[in-house]
Amino acid sequence: MLLVLSEEHKEHLAFLPQVDAAVGEFGRIALEFLRRGTNPKIYEGAARKLCVPVEMVQHGVEGLMFLMTESSKHMISEVDFLDSVLVLGFGEELNQTLLQLYLQHHSQIRSILSQLPSNLPAYHNLEWRLDVQLASRAVRQQVVPMLTLRLLLTGGGNGGNDRSGRVLQTDPSTLLHLISTLEAALAAMKTSHARRIFRNIK
Amino acid sequence: MRFRFCGDLDCPDWVLAEISTLAKISSVKMKLLCAQVLKDLLGDDIDYDKVTKLTADAKFESGDIKASVAVLSFIFSSAAKHDVDSESLSSELQQLGLPKEHTTGLCKSYEDKHSALQGKLRETSLRLGRLEAVSWRIDYTLSSSELKEVNEPLIQLKLQAQGAESGSTETTVVSVSANKFRVLLAELKQAQARMNALQ
Repeated sequence: MLLVLSEEHKEHLAFLPQVDAAVGEFGRIALEFLRRGTNPKIYEGAARKLCVPVEMVQHGVEGLMFLMTESSKHMISEVDFLDSVLVLGFGEELNQTLLQLYLQHHSQIRSILSQLPSNLPAYHNLEWRLDVQLASRAVRQQVVPMLTLRLLLTGGGNGGNDRSGRVLQTDPSTLLHLISTLEAALAAMKTSHARRIFRNIK
Repeated sequence: MRFRFCGDLDCPDWVLAEISTLAKISSVKMKLLCAQVLKDLLGDDIDYDKVTKLTADAKFESGDIKASVAVLSFIFSSAAKHDVDSESLSSELQQLGLPKEHTTGLCKSYEDKHSALQGKLRETSLRLGRLEAVSWRIDYTLSSSELKEVNEPLIQLKLQAQGAESGSTETTVVSVSANKFRVLLAELKQAQARMNALQ
């Protein structure tokens, strides 16, 4: 599929042929922007070196970054990428540089983009201990087996690095029920209905 | 195939795959790598530069280095968890395809650090609300706004424990009157007597 670039986007990218040699450098700045956010000092430094206003540099970098993310998002092929970029009217060499930039970094960009949407808390780790209660203040000579669990979860809408824990306690019969329910859930993946659906997802 | 060091279950596929990666380095380097991994499991920091140097001869990529450290960690911690003696570990690893010299080096390191590993694993077992510190103070109340002559001793207890859910230190301060404190002490002494009977 071809990327359709808006007029504003094309204007921003029109800055790029003026800095032919430094396009690689701009590509690097654009990717750092994706990973860590903007750094105005870099824009100012570049603007001073090239004697152009800071906004032009900023728009050029942002335009380049948007081009990369849109291309990576749709996973467009080399030919489609070249055709989309042809619209901008750049020279052959510049097109090839952009293509190289895209090919080198598109898997990284995709992995960064995949971390963006917020997600539900996910399993991280489960710690457990098995205890036997022998006596309490009220009753002596007991035998009560108990399983204490700490479920560690990541995520929950704040990014992948948030850890939260839940402490649970269960007796052996509930534990057996829990195990059989989870095994039934796993077995549901092997039914013919589920297999039919998996086969049809490429 | 059931393996004791995997807790009488099948050996995970990734362990089988990475054992063949381990066989690529020499047995001397393998023993040094085991020492590094054991250091990591016992709580000291692992020296990644040394590990990279050890695996440089066999031209391991970063993925291979991580995989070999992971598989050695798994073997040591799993064997310590299920209390496997080193002869059984040695025969099971040879069944999985680890060459004999590598296996002997690995099992020797395991035997040396066996009890230290188990101690460390016991320490890191799940415990909720661990009591860290107790401090107390006895006051004598002379008088109050309600009653002119009170003349009663009062004990203030400060308990520092790890929060059950959060894991960070929480401080609880309780003040106990003399009679209530006597009851508390009697109950705790009974609990202590039962705990000593179990030792």
